Amino acid sequence: MAQIKNASDAFVRTTSERALSDESDAALMTQVARGDSAALEALYNRYAARVLGISLKIIGDQALAEDVLQETFWRVWQSAATFQPQLGPLTSWLFRIARNLAIDAYRRRNVRPQVLMGANGSDPILDATPDPDADVAEQAQLILQSQRVRKALDSLSAVQRQVIEMAYFYGMTRQEIAEATGEALGTIHTRARLALQKLRGELEREEFEG
Amino acid sequence: MDPRIEELLPFYVLDALTEEEKELVESYLAEHPEARSQLQDLQPGASALPYTVSAVEPPRQVKESLMRRVTADAQARQRSSTRVPAEPVRGKFRFADIFRVLSLGAATIAILWAFALNGQVARLQGQVTSLNDQVTAQSQSLDDLIRNLPQTEQSDIISVSLKSTETQPRALGQLIANPNDRSAVLLISGLPPLEPGQTYQVWLIGNAPVSAGLLTVDENGQSVLIITSEEAIGSFNSVGISIEPEGGSMEPTGEIVVLSEL
Repeated sequence: MAQIKNASDAFVRTTSERALSDESDAALMTQVARGDSAALEALYNRYAARVLGISLKIIGDQALAEDVLQETFWRVWQSAATFQPQLGPLTSWLFRIARNLAIDAYRRRNVRPQVLMGANGSDPILDATPDPDADVAEQAQLILQSQRVRKALDSLSAVQRQVIEMAYFYGMTRQEIAEATGEALGTIHTRARLALQKLRGELEREEFEG
Repeated sequence: MDPRIEELLPFYVLDALTEEEKELVESYLAEHPEARSQLQDLQPGASALPYTVSAVEPPRQVKESLMRRVTADAQARQRSSTRVPAEPVRGKFRFADIFRVLSLGAATIAILWAFALNGQVARLQGQVTSLNDQVTAQSQSLDDLIRNLPQTEQSDIISVSLKSTETQPRALGQLIANPNDRSAVLLISGLPPLEPGQTYQVWLIGNAPVSAGLLTVDENGQSVLIITSEEAIGSFNSVGISIEPEGGSMEPTGEIVVLSEL
């Protein structure tokens, strides 16, 4: 009898997890705001690897990046009621929290970035290990999105890419970027604007939807 | 379009402006809604940047640790929303009872507190009844509740009056906790609502500040926050509140508005 009950519980649990994994981000956030921890877990399964990737890119330290990952989802849990879907997708909000926490951690600990670079100077491809909890279709979709954005990013000149990456991933101000690159402030402004405009055009061509 | 704003917009969407520059852009956009079309031109590129980073599979223990913390918090919330029995509590006053009572709201706190201590602390009952009258008379304002909240005589419960800093002299607060427990209740009033993009963040401070949660105040500057910590509340020396960017920070970076020793 106990075995039947265990099997039944497992089936109910699995079915419930599958149902959650089919929910939209906005629907899951509504449930998180009501205190549903399973909905938070579903969002974690969906985006944790991406959040850890962003944190690691910024901090360059695995342990600290994992702290940021946990803290990011803790903030989502605590602040879910303040999320306003009409202002943009969950991913924008989620990634901004992760990025800001990672930049804070980086500045506080002053950890030297240890981002492993590929042979051509690109970021390493680390997304090889599948998460047993992750939905395969969702993960495939995320990988496809990454490929499209990387392709769009490759269309930028090295100096254009450098400016927007220094600003976004390292939180450097215009003046700091000008100082670090030895370029005039006006040049930095132009590069950033052209980079973002070109990126938008390429993303439309790639039919990217964030 | 103002050329200075035009220069700032790419860095605005990249979230890489100083606070002063950011305020400048936002006030310009509020006055010139037509400038938003330029934002829409730049935003998609910035929003796509997180996708340029490779996903990195986190170790399983990160999720386990997070979910333990979340489950504990969910249970604390559930306890706090459970109705307190109408009968007065006899014997040792339990922290969980205080926890439930406080979460029901400021006015309810005063009334239920009086019930809970009935027969035990008659002297306090008079104060609480008086307090309840004050709260009712002043639209259930937390201000007076916090000013007059009775100090419990139970040895395992502490009730600490929080001190405002010079930047927010009207702020009042009360932290109620069992030092051996990992939960506490924080009552706050007198903090002005913040601009979009900012949040109040509560810190428990031992060797280093540890985030104890984000605080959203209502239009009257009032809030009740249930704090769940990984360490016992008594292991911390101080409690503070700072103003941080939306989503909070890993450590205090903004203006400190409340700071008190525990």
